[in-house]
Amino acid sequence: MTVHNMRHGDASDGGADAVGGRLSRVDGPAKITGSAKYAVEQQLEGLAYAVLVESTIASGKVRSIDTAEAEAAPGVLKVLTPDTIISLRTASDWFGTPPPDKPYCPLARDITFSGQHVAAVVAETFEQAVAAAALVKVSYDETPSIVDLSDAKAGDGIPIDAMTKKWGDAQAAFASAPVRICAAYNTPREYQAPMEPHGLIAQWEGDKLTVWEPSQWLDGMARTYAEWFGVPFENVRLVSPYIGGGFGSKALALSHGAVAASAAKMLGRPVRLVMTRPQTFTGYGGRAATRQTVTIGADRQGKIQSIVHRGINETSMDGMWVEPLGSVTSIMYATPNFSSKQNVVRVNSVVPGAMRAPGENPSAFGIESAIDELAYEVGIDPLEIRLRNYAEQDPHARKAWSTRQLREAFAAGSERFGWERRTPQPRSMRDGNQLIGWGVAAGTYPVRRAYGEAIVRILADGSVEVESSSIDMGQGTYTILAQTAAETVGVPADNVVVKLGDSRFPRAGVAGGSRLAGVMTGAVYKAATSALDQLVGLAISDPRSPFHALQANTLVVANGRISSPRGDGPDLSIAELLGSVGRDHIEATGDTMPANSTAQDRYKNYTTIAMALPHTEGDYSRHSWCAHFIEVRVDEDFGTVRVSRVVSALDSGRLYNPKLAESQWKGGIIMGIGQALLEEGIVDRRHGRIVNNNLADYLVPTNADIPDIEVISVGIPDLHSSVLGGKGVGELAIVGVAPAIANAVFHATGKRVRDLPITLEKLI
Amino acid sequence: MTKTTIPVHLDVNGHRHTLQLEPRVTLLDALRDRLGLTGTKKGCDHGQCGACTVHVDGERVLACLTLAAQAEGRTVTTIEGLAREGELHPVQAAFLEQDAFQCGYCTPGQIMSAVACIREGHAGSDEEIREYMAGNLCRCGAYPHIVAAVRQAALEVQS
Repeated sequence: MTVHNMRHGDASDGGADAVGGRLSRVDGPAKITGSAKYAVEQQLEGLAYAVLVESTIASGKVRSIDTAEAEAAPGVLKVLTPDTIISLRTASDWFGTPPPDKPYCPLARDITFSGQHVAAVVAETFEQAVAAAALVKVSYDETPSIVDLSDAKAGDGIPIDAMTKKWGDAQAAFASAPVRICAAYNTPREYQAPMEPHGLIAQWEGDKLTVWEPSQWLDGMARTYAEWFGVPFENVRLVSPYIGGGFGSKALALSHGAVAASAAKMLGRPVRLVMTRPQTFTGYGGRAATRQTVTIGADRQGKIQSIVHRGINETSMDGMWVEPLGSVTSIMYATPNFSSKQNVVRVNSVVPGAMRAPGENPSAFGIESAIDELAYEVGIDPLEIRLRNYAEQDPHARKAWSTRQLREAFAAGSERFGWERRTPQPRSMRDGNQLIGWGVAAGTYPVRRAYGEAIVRILADGSVEVESSSIDMGQGTYTILAQTAAETVGVPADNVVVKLGDSRFPRAGVAGGSRLAGVMTGAVYKAATSALDQLVGLAISDPRSPFHALQANTLVVANGRISSPRGDGPDLSIAELLGSVGRDHIEATGDTMPANSTAQDRYKNYTTIAMALPHTEGDYSRHSWCAHFIEVRVDEDFGTVRVSRVVSALDSGRLYNPKLAESQWKGGIIMGIGQALLEEGIVDRRHGRIVNNNLADYLVPTNADIPDIEVISVGIPDLHSSVLGGKGVGELAIVGVAPAIANAVFHATGKRVRDLPITLEKLI
Repeated sequence: MTKTTIPVHLDVNGHRHTLQLEPRVTLLDALRDRLGLTGTKKGCDHGQCGACTVHVDGERVLACLTLAAQAEGRTVTTIEGLAREGELHPVQAAFLEQDAFQCGYCTPGQIMSAVACIREGHAGSDEEIREYMAGNLCRCGAYPHIVAAVRQAALEVQS
């Protein structure tokens, strides 16, 4: 990345350079001046432009593709169809499961969803490719499709045994409970909709492939490209300096990438392919639609005796996506009896994928709505009932929490929000024709851990360089790794340059599951400690060093200068010391893999998710926690819902940079507001198409939809979760927002909406 | 479809460029693909997201809905032309200070909109800022910080 000399934050930032400081984004200057070059913005000689052609049916076969007119169009270099594209090999999945030994064709003959790629046009200019793509004529033999979960043909689906959780006798305990509630909760298809559309530039030099592509996982995607094209892993270079948002959608190499890289190979030219915005709704999967039933049996004091949970999520005809719907249900509250099961149902859709807190997010909508219903049933405050059923340990794993500051979150959030002023009756608070509702809900996300590598170099001019194949899509990786290196080595953060987003750098694994910050601060801390040890070792032992005569045991490095802890002897800058001993740099690799790891272990760790440590490994159960307090105002006549106030208290452990963590939390809350009130992929039942496949019809929150949001950190360092004490940040805050809003809407209106999003027709 | 191209003269950030373009080339694609000015972003290509906001004769326009030929003889300012002699525009500085972005992809459009929003006199209150910045989507959800940055910059610009 570019080096900038600009102020970071204001004077009140004191100590901003260190881990835990409020340092402004070090990649910020490049982003606010337009100089940050995102992956597909590289300017390459001879670049050709590819545009995809998609299926207009949801089920059937391609009968023929007439490319004659497209091929004759001005500027067209090639039209790719299933018949003309080069043959690829099937790649392994993200667990590293060996693939079947059969060819892979990223352009489909057999259609299983509307919007599937069937052809691509490559031309000299983007405009020529767009125009020619419209001339490709595809004819089909159409067969009936299953458009979504509500389709009568969808059936009950496939049981996923790995999702079954059970203790006690939940059915019997429910049957004998004095208070019983049972309700069904639905969430629709939702889309990540990052502002930067998916796309890439692919370039071959011999059998070496370079791919400039926005990526949450350089090493995993490089593996897939290598397997597709049958070239060694080392021959594929992924470059992704900045990522314009991912939210789970940019972790895997997708079929459009295979099309572009094939086209580049066939043409011997670099090829750029960027999805249109409508294509981003079918070129990869959003969050699967889900259905849950939650039954709770309790005593008259609201103490839970039994939870029975059943869930289903949709998946595609030929792919498998499981959205773990019992993940929050099974750990949020103490219950002696529990049962959860899940099925997946095949529909004619692209295979759904990861979207911010997959599993936990819809799971929390079920249980956090249901416990609110229980609170009204027994006449107990919704906050109080959560405290009465507080889980003092993980009820499923039967292990102690590593840290669980949820009680503190409830206390801090409710106080700041003014919860005690809430009147319990629905429709009891109003302001003119606006009904006011106050709702609460909790959220959680597991701490996912893995291993990482980094290089830290101390250069001749005293500056420090960090290299890692990890990425920054806005979470702040550039910044927190600069802070980690700055604090550990003892230099100002301005003197640290962090280089990310290139698979040639030491490897990092996936930026997903809120794990990257914990993984990479650990690796950079280790590398920087080792570089510092070398620096101090040189200063003490090298005969040319001005410190040599001091015969000190150790030296202090602070603010880029080296001195004796006693204050006697010389005081040198790092550059002066390196100059005196004749070194142009010091380099150290930090690697948090277990010491006896083989090369194969390392490859597996960085290119699959098979080596991730379970969050319940060892003696503890590790999770982040949060509590949302939300006010809504509902227009009594029109049923329109506005979120007017949010206070959330969150436990992400130690924050590496509170300024950036607060931003990410607020972003999660805002995406949760969209989920609660706006977001829904609507299917045309005749053709199985997503009809609102654009940003004017698939509504995401705008500035005018969002009030001031207050976030409070209640975390404490959790050294069972990471080297420096942090837990997850990025996914946590969206979890629990939708139920908090649904609960607030019930308080405002007396209407319980169990089917997201909460749109006005459900209230009038 | 036409094979013909036309000469288009663009005045971008004080530099004059002469391009030979097909008439269907948008201002956005001309900036990004022909002039290498990739600070202006393509988020939807349909005027729905605001990521491509630039100034034409000082007013905010969506470069994806503007043909390059329509900018003939007019003054175009992009995010790359906002800072003067290395000094950040107050809106840029405020975005950095308030952490008004995460991934950064909507940011150039937000900043160009914010500069115009202040110039139009639509930054008088948080409510007004939210309304007049509502055409620029931010999926990372930086909205509260964008409002704070526009409020701060408006005070600096007006003082």
